[in-house]
Amino acid sequence: IAYFSQIILMIADDMACNPRNPRPAMVFNNANEQINVYGHDVEVDYRGYEVTVENFIRVMTGRLPPSTPRSKRLLSDDRSNILVYMTGHGGDGFLKFQDAEEISSIELADAFEQMWQKQRYHEVLFIIDTCQAESMYQKLYSPNILGVASSRVGEDSLSHHVDSAIGVYVIDRYTYYALEFLEKVTPESKKTLSQFLKVCPKSACVSTVGVRTDLFQRDPKKVLVTDFFGSVRNVELSPYTVTLNDTGDTGDSTASDRETCSADSCAPKKKIQRKKMSYVDQFPVEQFLKRR
Amino acid sequence: MAAPMIMRLFFAGSFLSLISGVHVADVFNEELLIKPLDSGHVYAHFQFTTKWDIDIQTQQNFTHYGLFPKSLGEVLAKYSVHELHLSLTQGLWRHRIWGYPVVSAPPGAELWAWFKRDTTNIDKKWSDLVNALSGLFCASLNFMDKTATVSPKLSFRPLGAADQWIATNSTYLRYAAMPGEMVCTENLTPWKKLLPCDTKAGLSTFFKSGKLYDTSYHSLGVYYKSVCTDAECDTTGVELVQSLAVVYEPPVRQGGKQDWSFKSLFGRFLTNSCPVAEASHILVDITGNKTLAYHFHLSPPPDRVETATRGGDKRKFAIYDAKKRPPSGLNLAAKYNRNVIYKQPQPPQLHAHRFITGFGQENGGIVTMLFNTDPKENLTVIYMEMVPWFIKMYFHTLKVEIDGMQENPLHIHYVQAKDRQQPCLMEVILKLPANTTTKVSIDFDRTFLKWTEYPPDANHGFYVTSAVVSTVLSHAGQYTALPQHSDKLISLLSLNDDISSEFLLRIHTETLLVSLPTPDFSMPYNVICLACTVVAIGFGSVHNLTTRQFIEVDPTKNKGFLSNIKDKLKRKKKETDAKVHKEEKSDSIEEKKS
Repeated sequence: IAYFSQIILMIADDMACNPRNPRPAMVFNNANEQINVYGHDVEVDYRGYEVTVENFIRVMTGRLPPSTPRSKRLLSDDRSNILVYMTGHGGDGFLKFQDAEEISSIELADAFEQMWQKQRYHEVLFIIDTCQAESMYQKLYSPNILGVASSRVGEDSLSHHVDSAIGVYVIDRYTYYALEFLEKVTPESKKTLSQFLKVCPKSACVSTVGVRTDLFQRDPKKVLVTDFFGSVRNVELSPYTVTLNDTGDTGDSTASDRETCSADSCAPKKKIQRKKMSYVDQFPVEQFLKRR
Repeated sequence: MAAPMIMRLFFAGSFLSLISGVHVADVFNEELLIKPLDSGHVYAHFQFTTKWDIDIQTQQNFTHYGLFPKSLGEVLAKYSVHELHLSLTQGLWRHRIWGYPVVSAPPGAELWAWFKRDTTNIDKKWSDLVNALSGLFCASLNFMDKTATVSPKLSFRPLGAADQWIATNSTYLRYAAMPGEMVCTENLTPWKKLLPCDTKAGLSTFFKSGKLYDTSYHSLGVYYKSVCTDAECDTTGVELVQSLAVVYEPPVRQGGKQDWSFKSLFGRFLTNSCPVAEASHILVDITGNKTLAYHFHLSPPPDRVETATRGGDKRKFAIYDAKKRPPSGLNLAAKYNRNVIYKQPQPPQLHAHRFITGFGQENGGIVTMLFNTDPKENLTVIYMEMVPWFIKMYFHTLKVEIDGMQENPLHIHYVQAKDRQQPCLMEVILKLPANTTTKVSIDFDRTFLKWTEYPPDANHGFYVTSAVVSTVLSHAGQYTALPQHSDKLISLLSLNDDISSEFLLRIHTETLLVSLPTPDFSMPYNVICLACTVVAIGFGSVHNLTTRQFIEVDPTKNKGFLSNIKDKLKRKKKETDAKVHKEEKSDSIEEKKS
């Protein structure tokens, strides 16, 4: 079995192509424009009004309408390691979505439990960067979750620095130092999660980074950062053969499609009467002009 | 480094197709048209055409893919799509100043599709199609549900080959638009991946998001239709055109000069060409390069210069063959002799301007001005408008005035809106006399929505999509669109033989932003606080008053412990008061004595 990576990005506001952005289509990690985090191959799956608490919980639990495309689904199974990173404004027990609604820590804990019961994850690394972020993982009760928060209950998470060209603070402290650490991690890196958990001491972050390891079964000192951050493909060799059924799914699959048949025997059933086609009159006003 | 890889892939691909015995007859062309505009802007239009000689009516054909993108082909086959036109645009095309683009697109997202003849349950197929496309292009197209979709009857006939019966049956057509949709790198990324050479070779290496989004206008287009492959249209094929149109403004960065080059527009030279492309051309429209006062010089010199006559209009093109570029790379550059001379724009034959009228939050009006600038020729236009249901249009207020004088339109097709079910569709056929301004106006009422129906940024307002004006021009001044039967821009040159004297033109107006009466969303909190306070104070007091029993207290009876202490304290106070009073009295008596 080979693992594959799936990234679901939910961004509520359009920052990169906002008319106020003096560098269109670019979002930098600092005012010196060091790294363009928006990149050339970014794909935002949920954007604008689609970023709601309901959609987030649906993506996590997999309860999406049947017409949802694959790129908008989590597609995880019981062997998947999931990294969940949330940031925004928050408080004691909640995180704000779109300035109009909130997700509470209890809802989040229940969502993770639903995922566990349906075997939708193997391990979860939950990183949250908001004010009083610790409160968001305090209510979790499902196994195999490692929680990292940028601040304790009662503390505010602070922004790092302002970019005078744009006029807003461009990055938060915890995210800035975490990004700095992760930029040095390559797919072959042997850095462990315990090194990642120490990434922002109080001197740099001003707030205290909180960690919750009681639900996580492995020792963070022995877990590689690439287990969550890289799509390192593990291949499992199996001595058994697997027969694949030919579903023949290329269009409207009716009952007759399910039976396997050869090109000759199938063709008569699918014969649609071909119609003669031609270029059509684009401007059908003649009939109305004649009336006058 | 990338080129040998692509060559290897190409050979592998062709080798594999030979083995499988399936001949995938598709042809890919890439072209770039650069047109400097009189206003100092530079219009660049990329067109990537994949023509696939398969019969659209046979379902099994959509199983083996060559250059035609598989991800898009599977979606089109699964949802029985006959024709699809999707555009994602950022910015407004200014017809009055810039003339006509190759393909017109409104700001935001616009999607219209014709479904195949025997399609059942078209509404479900449309809903699944928009969901699939929203995943494919990273746009929130899934909001194009029934409440935002219409079936126009007169506009948007199939642009490609179609069954004549279907073409006049608008129940197979669905049109929707989202004017508030923004376009950014995440839309360009999957669009680029549909190209056979991705961004590794050819003209698509120019797609750097940092440069492409720093423009006055940016439009991505995906257009899929059937085409006739022979004169009698006995055999048909399908054609996919991916277009990217950008309008730059060089004078802003270059101190007033309209100089442009590949390096300044796209950030790099053209160093390779897509090996799977049949041809790769760059066309520069040099028709405007006539006057000695203001002209530009192209370097390197073009491979050939040709003049195309189309409907009485002569256009001169400088053509470069990108497959024969020099080894150091091609950096096409134009140098002007002086700064831009800004002058009154020469508007094209037809342009439009649309805006909202009225004040307050109760009602308003939509007015569209249609300008026919030609001194001699009358124009017949189809004016189509789609308005969401919460802007209640009043049909009886529809007024058409030509230069101030009221006129009746030739024909009106009006589908009334239904609350929370469908938008209002209005198609009007108008005759615009030569050299006149026509004003189409209609009044509306603003609705007070239910509080859950407001978006998170309710005070921003609600968008109304562009109106679409379709007409047929008899001469091609400033017209750059392609005729129905041709697919490549280079074919603009061979249109000397084009006997058609009619040019279909479609333009889009501005979008509108309507503010609806918005409630104060903090009110539920305020109301709860107020109500609870009133209840606590009012109810508590009233309950106390009405249920309290007044009984006489016997002063001699044994009272409680606390009241005993209170009485003792009271008595002590009385004694001390009496003492002080006595002392004062004695003091005063003594004073009197002394």
